[in-house]
Amino acid sequence: MRAAFGFGTGLFLLCIAMGSQAEDRNRENYLLHCSGCHLSEGVGVPGTTPSLRALAPILAAPGGREYLGRVPGVVQAPLSDAELAELLNWVLLTMSDAPADPPYSETEIGSLRAKPIRDTVAAREALFSN
Amino acid sequence: MTRLDAFFERYARRVARRTGRRSFLAALGGALVGVGALPLLPVARAAAAGSSARVPVPDEHMEGPEGDPKSCEYWRHCAIDGSACACCGGSAIACPPGTEVSPVTWVGTCRNPSDGKDYLISYNDCCGKQVCGRCMCNRNEGERPEYHWYRNNDINWCAGASSQVYNCSIAVVIGQASEAQPEK
Repeated sequence: MRAAFGFGTGLFLLCIAMGSQAEDRNRENYLLHCSGCHLSEGVGVPGTTPSLRALAPILAAPGGREYLGRVPGVVQAPLSDAELAELLNWVLLTMSDAPADPPYSETEIGSLRAKPIRDTVAAREALFSN
Repeated sequence: MTRLDAFFERYARRVARRTGRRSFLAALGGALVGVGALPLLPVARAAAAGSSARVPVPDEHMEGPEGDPKSCEYWRHCAIDGSACACCGGSAIACPPGTEVSPVTWVGTCRNPSDGKDYLISYNDCCGKQVCGRCMCNRNEGERPEYHWYRNNDINWCAGASSQVYNCSIAVVIGQASEAQPEK
C-alpha cells in the first residue's frame, strides 16, 4: 500500500515536472520565433501585426482552424511540425483562452503549413464574410 | 469711485450669499476625484498601452559581472549591428530620451560569460531624432540572412515606428535560452 502511494506521488510529481518543461519550452519558442512582431505578451502592433489575444472568433469560424495553421508566421517558423503544433496550442490556450479542440497534431500542422496562404488579409476577411 | 466700490461690494455679497465654502470644496473634491479617475477610462488605458506595450518585458536575473554596455565586446552585443544606446544617452535596455522604441524587432541569443548560460536577447532599435553614430558595432553571431527577415540585423526595424530614422539599438534580456541560436 505504502509502495503504491509512493509510486502515485512520484508519478504525480513527474507529470508536474513535464508540464513545467513544456511550459518553459513553449514560452522560449514563442519569445524567440514570435515575440519580435507579436510582442512578448502577444498584444501585436495595430496596423502592423495582429494580436494573438483574441483568436477565439477565428478558431470558431468555418475554415478558421485551417487558416491559423497556414498564416505566414506559422508556416515560416523554423520549428518542427511537432514543436509548432505544441506552440500553436499553447498560444491559443494561454493568450486567447481558446484551446483548440482537439489540439493541433504534428500531422495536421505538417499538412497545413505545406499550403501557405497567399493573401492573408483577404483570407481573414473571407472567414467572416459568410 | 464710490459707485464702483458699491457695485463690487454688492456683487461680492451676492456671490457670498449664493455660494459657500462647502460648495467650493465639493467642486474641488469632484475635480480631484475626476482627474484621478481619468486613467481608469478605456481611452487612457489604450493610449498608455500603445507606447509601453512595445517595450520588451525584461527578465534579467543574471549573476556575475555584467560588463561594459558601451563596449562592442559586451556579451549582449553578440548579434548587434549599429550603435549601442549606452553611448547615445540611453542604456543597454533603454532608448535615449526623445527617441521611440521600434514596435517590431528580432530576437536572438547570446552567451553570458559570467555564468556560461545562453539568454534570449531582444534587439530593439530606437527611432527618431538623428543617427547617433557613436559606438558602432557589427557582430553577427546567430544572425541570419535577409530572407530570414525575422532573425536579421541588417533590417531597419524603425520601419514600423512613427520615425524611420535609426538612432541606436538596445539589447534586452527577455528570458533564458535552452540552446544557442541558430539551432543545431
